[in-house]
Amino acid sequence: MLERRFNPITGEWVMISSSRQKRPNLPKDSCPICPGVLELPGEYDLVSFENRFPALKKDAPNVENNSNVLIKDKSQGICEVVVYTEKHNSELSYMPIYQIEKLINMWADRTKELSSYEFIKYVFIFENKGKEVGATLPHPHGQLYAFPFLPPRIQLKIESLEKWYSEKNSCAICDIVKEEKEQNERIVYETENIIALVPFYARYPYEVHVYPKRHVETIYELSNKEKKEFAEVLRVITNKYNGLFNMPFPYMMMFFQKPFNINKTTHFFHFHVEFISPMRGPNLIKWVASVESGTWAFINPIEPEQAAKQLRDVEVKLDEI
Amino acid sequence: MNILNNYFDGEYLEFNKDNYSIKLKIEKIPEGYIIRGKVKGKLGKIDIFDDFADEDLFINNWQSWSPTKKIKVLNYKYNIPDDWKKTAKYSAHPMPEYLENNIISDYFIAKKNKVYGFLTSKIAHPFFEVKDNKIIACLEYFEKNADEYIDIEPLIILENNEMEKLLEIYADYVKFENNPKFSKWNPVGWSSWYHYYEELTWQDTLKNLELSKEYNYEVFQLDDSWQKDIGDWIPKDSFPGFDIIANKIKEYGYIPGLWLAPFSVSEISEVFLKHKDWLVKDENGEPKVAYINWRKNIYALDTTHPEAQEHLKNIFLNMRNNGIHYFKTDFLFAGAIPGKRYVEVTPIEAYNIGMKIIREAIGEDFILGCGAPILPSIGYVDGMRISADTAPFYKPNDLDFVYPNAYYALRNVITRYFMNGKWWWNDPDCLILRTEDTELNDKIIEMYSYVSGLLNNMILQSDDLSKTIKKDVYFNSLKLRGGIPHVKGLMNDNYSFEIEAFNTNIGNVKMHVDLEKINFKLEYDEDYPQLNKNTVLREEDNRLFHYYEERDNNA
Ligand SMILES: [Zn+2]
Ligand SMILES: [Zn+2]
Repeated sequence: MLERRFNPITGEWVMISSSRQKRPNLPKDSCPICPGVLELPGEYDLVSFENRFPALKKDAPNVENNSNVLIKDKSQGICEVVVYTEKHNSELSYMPIYQIEKLINMWADRTKELSSYEFIKYVFIFENKGKEVGATLPHPHGQLYAFPFLPPRIQLKIESLEKWYSEKNSCAICDIVKEEKEQNERIVYETENIIALVPFYARYPYEVHVYPKRHVETIYELSNKEKKEFAEVLRVITNKYNGLFNMPFPYMMMFFQKPFNINKTTHFFHFHVEFISPMRGPNLIKWVASVESGTWAFINPIEPEQAAKQLRDVEVKLDEI
Repeated sequence: MNILNNYFDGEYLEFNKDNYSIKLKIEKIPEGYIIRGKVKGKLGKIDIFDDFADEDLFINNWQSWSPTKKIKVLNYKYNIPDDWKKTAKYSAHPMPEYLENNIISDYFIAKKNKVYGFLTSKIAHPFFEVKDNKIIACLEYFEKNADEYIDIEPLIILENNEMEKLLEIYADYVKFENNPKFSKWNPVGWSSWYHYYEELTWQDTLKNLELSKEYNYEVFQLDDSWQKDIGDWIPKDSFPGFDIIANKIKEYGYIPGLWLAPFSVSEISEVFLKHKDWLVKDENGEPKVAYINWRKNIYALDTTHPEAQEHLKNIFLNMRNNGIHYFKTDFLFAGAIPGKRYVEVTPIEAYNIGMKIIREAIGEDFILGCGAPILPSIGYVDGMRISADTAPFYKPNDLDFVYPNAYYALRNVITRYFMNGKWWWNDPDCLILRTEDTELNDKIIEMYSYVSGLLNNMILQSDDLSKTIKKDVYFNSLKLRGGIPHVKGLMNDNYSFEIEAFNTNIGNVKMHVDLEKINFKLEYDEDYPQLNKNTVLREEDNRLFHYYEERDNNA
């Protein structure tokens, strides 16, 4: 079954994706995205391809609504697997910056292409890294979901940014960047055009946000220089994560950009990245349990200023590849 | 907030005048307000809002060829030359006398940090009048009788930001209101006009097709020259039939395009001689001259007359069925002149009816609008001329009117930049890239081309390709496209602007351009890895794979 269902209690759309084609038999320990194994027949540099088991499909089956209460719709969208490199034993934290720059350009092009479909309202780029966050494949890759609706947290971000703009006539993130630079307590790493910090309002212990200092609404509006620095910042943050407890650090990396095709102004949306991790110490997991899951109210056991200092202090050598 | 001296705080503001009743409603948006409403009665000119004016205003005139620019309100007058008043007054405005005696701005107007703009023009002609230090938002209904309430054209007021940003936001709201579906294709091609004018022959066409191979055009468009007469839209004897024209152009891999003026009918055309009832009439019931051109009186097709409608539809069907798929539709204002029609509608409604017929006839083929009222064309055209005709000369000291002049054409390419990609693709008019038969020097040629490219506009070249051509300028201007441009300096006195475009085909580019001094400077972003994309469909499960790899620039 592939459809989405509406929850009138919360206003959420839930994607139901239960059809599982027979998973091809692969020899143990073989990687489906290594060249020549399963998905990618030969050598490649970077590639983005439609997910074999998608939650959203471009040609999703039509869905008939039989009820005015239990409402459903077709899951029309696009889910892609984004492969960063053909090198199996690599990861963002030590990939050459030049390769990350290319990756950024691919993300930008994917965004541009997918947003040209009228039915796509949101392009969400992300990476789950580590088995603690459910990623089983070590080969460096991420994913993207091109949604036919605005997911609730995106809706919330738009509303909050809009409210801020209506009241103050400025962009909240532009204001935050200014203030954080002045206070200089939570900055983890900074280049001329990009800033990475543990936000004042961090929900997770080692949450890191990356903000371009210039107001851009999408990843494809970044300048070449900004893209270069953005690549460096992604490389540094993931590397600092690994250095924090001297262990492979699991994280979720999520990109937020303006929505598309929604017939509403969102020029106050400021492109940004959120890194979150379930780790709260060496071998200690912060579980997202009842309070967080049920109410979306978070309790952070570590002061953001403290987390920022710890991350700032992790040394990163940029030339070691 | 004050509306016409009535303080307003509730849901609706309702008032009755001698001839009409109106209800207005204010909607708060993040950037300001939208005023919507309903009106009924015998409708003439209706004022719906006013606010204080500044000394400097940014104004817009109603159609493709008209200026959009900053003015100093003191002593400003729209100079309509006398000969123009006699020959083509409706090309300047649907109410030309009113334009002569008042400071008006059609559709939108701006001051330093405020933009006022109407979102639609479906029934009325919306404009702003500047009088006694005030900006007054008006709707002209041309004496329409509305027995029931009809929706007014909504008005938006945007404030507290730099004007250019507000114009971009205004363009967004106009887009949301009209929801235009236009082609995703932003054309590149060739047009015959700015070298051959009315003298183009079929031999010239064949010659240029043969010479065009190295330019990678997408469309090849013949301009005014091929037709029997204005109004009789079939090829004249020295041209082959539509099918042969189309097939010949297709042989070279291009989309065949033709120019026509679908609402115009000349005094010696067959349509005029046989079907005077199809034309817009004057007060005495005689066909009304819409304008004079080609040394002939030109009349306007009455788009409300059922037979004229059928005729209009068939013109396009006939061309389309024979393989023409790109239409440069010119002198469109003729469809919107005031006058007597078969059905009593406003000139704006008549125009909308005519454009709808054309759009329905040609389906998804490309329509370029030209000589067209701005707001009413949204949703009907894929591309739109946003400037006066260009020319092989550049004359900063000439009259700022709808006359051909590369100087004022380029000015408008910049001042109307915010419409591009939101309402349609802006057509900056053709690039003239030859170095013979032209008064343009290299600097002007480059400046015009690079501004057009950087603003991600349509690129059509218009030269006899056997001349010496600045081919590198053509290809460079294509490289500058694809980005998201912003302009600064629209309120500057001396036509010097700064254009910044993000994510063009070669990254970020900044351009300082000074139209008066004929000077420009391009600044490029740092190099970055450019990618080639190769998309492969896996047949077994119908999945797309997008392979990216670094582009080998030496290959
Ligand atoms: Zn692998
Ligand atoms: Zn911002």
